[in-house]
Amino acid sequence: MPSNDPQPPVNVRLGQDSRISGPDAFKRYFSQREIGLSVGERSWADGTRFAVGLDGVVVIGSDCYLNDCVLLAELEIRIGDHVMIGWNTTVSDSDFHPIAPAERIQDAIALSPLSKGTPRPSIARKPVIIGDDVFIGPACTILKGVSIGAGAFVEPGSVVTRDVPAGAHVRGNPAAIVSADETA
Amino acid sequence: MPDRTLAHDWYDGVIPDNVVFDDTNFIETSYSFRRFRSRAKDALKLGRGAAIYSNSGFDLGPDARVEIGDFAMVNGAEIVCDESIRIGDYALISWNVLLIDNCRAPRSAAQRRAYVAAILRNNSRAIGFQTRARPIVIGANVWIGHDCVVLPGVTIGQGSIVGARSVVVESVPEFAVAAGNPARVIRRLGDAH
Repeated sequence: MPSNDPQPPVNVRLGQDSRISGPDAFKRYFSQREIGLSVGERSWADGTRFAVGLDGVVVIGSDCYLNDCVLLAELEIRIGDHVMIGWNTTVSDSDFHPIAPAERIQDAIALSPLSKGTPRPSIARKPVIIGDDVFIGPACTILKGVSIGAGAFVEPGSVVTRDVPAGAHVRGNPAAIVSADETA
Repeated sequence: MPDRTLAHDWYDGVIPDNVVFDDTNFIETSYSFRRFRSRAKDALKLGRGAAIYSNSGFDLGPDARVEIGDFAMVNGAEIVCDESIRIGDYALISWNVLLIDNCRAPRSAAQRRAYVAAILRNNSRAIGFQTRARPIVIGANVWIGHDCVVLPGVTIGQGSIVGARSVVVESVPEFAVAAGNPARVIRRLGDAH
């Protein structure tokens, strides 16, 4: 492992020949789970930022190549084997803030310098599951609760808000299946 | 023939020999060429008065050719090219725009598995791995707003505008305003103006 790769926190499990590079990989990694990040074998997260909350878990399979993307996990992001994710892509399993206006005021106060440890209101979160052999192009956004089926191809710049069936080819915001004539 | 090192450069690099430019051009930094691998003759040609500002990047495969027209401005865009990208005269390309003529990932999941394995084995991108590039043509006088993505095979007609953060998946006619993801024509511009 090159010496300038970041030292992973103690609850990160990195499989044989896997590598995490980039100075900001763990800048926003706060997971207190027994294993907060687990990576299979021969995978490379190059410039990927793991923004993992206290209860968050990220599981990445083997033989994956993740470029400069951001994984925001408050609950769980699960990525299969042979997955490729392009740069500037964001994968998030939460909404970051409450939807209800009154709760959002509470959240703003809890996050402020004056909060003195006020707990934040609960925030909607649902796991994101990315299947084996999925390709996610650069500049995509994958929202909470989404499952992307094995072998799916997500075009650059897509915003995935709903489940993608296995083997599907999607693009757009919200991402929709590209019909056969458009792929020609 | 201008010097291939830039006097004002913060990065310790040189402009590749197959980049054609002259004293009327402005290139902010040689850092833009860190992923430049084209061996084609005149792989990148800059028109008279064209400018390449910092945060721009030329990720060019071995056979890639990019042409940038007279007085065109590339203000921090990433150009990923394996075959051909042409940018017309007076075009304005904003920051974080991605012009990509080849997604470089096979559509078939089985082939993609081999592709990802090749990248991991070589510790570098397996350039042009059996995927077909489809050239991009940006017409003269086109303005592309910030954070847009232009996908392979797209032609944008002269005089058109692409709104910020759009994703252009199919060609845009001339003198139109297109926006959204996927981008749709939302207005026509009179060519007389």
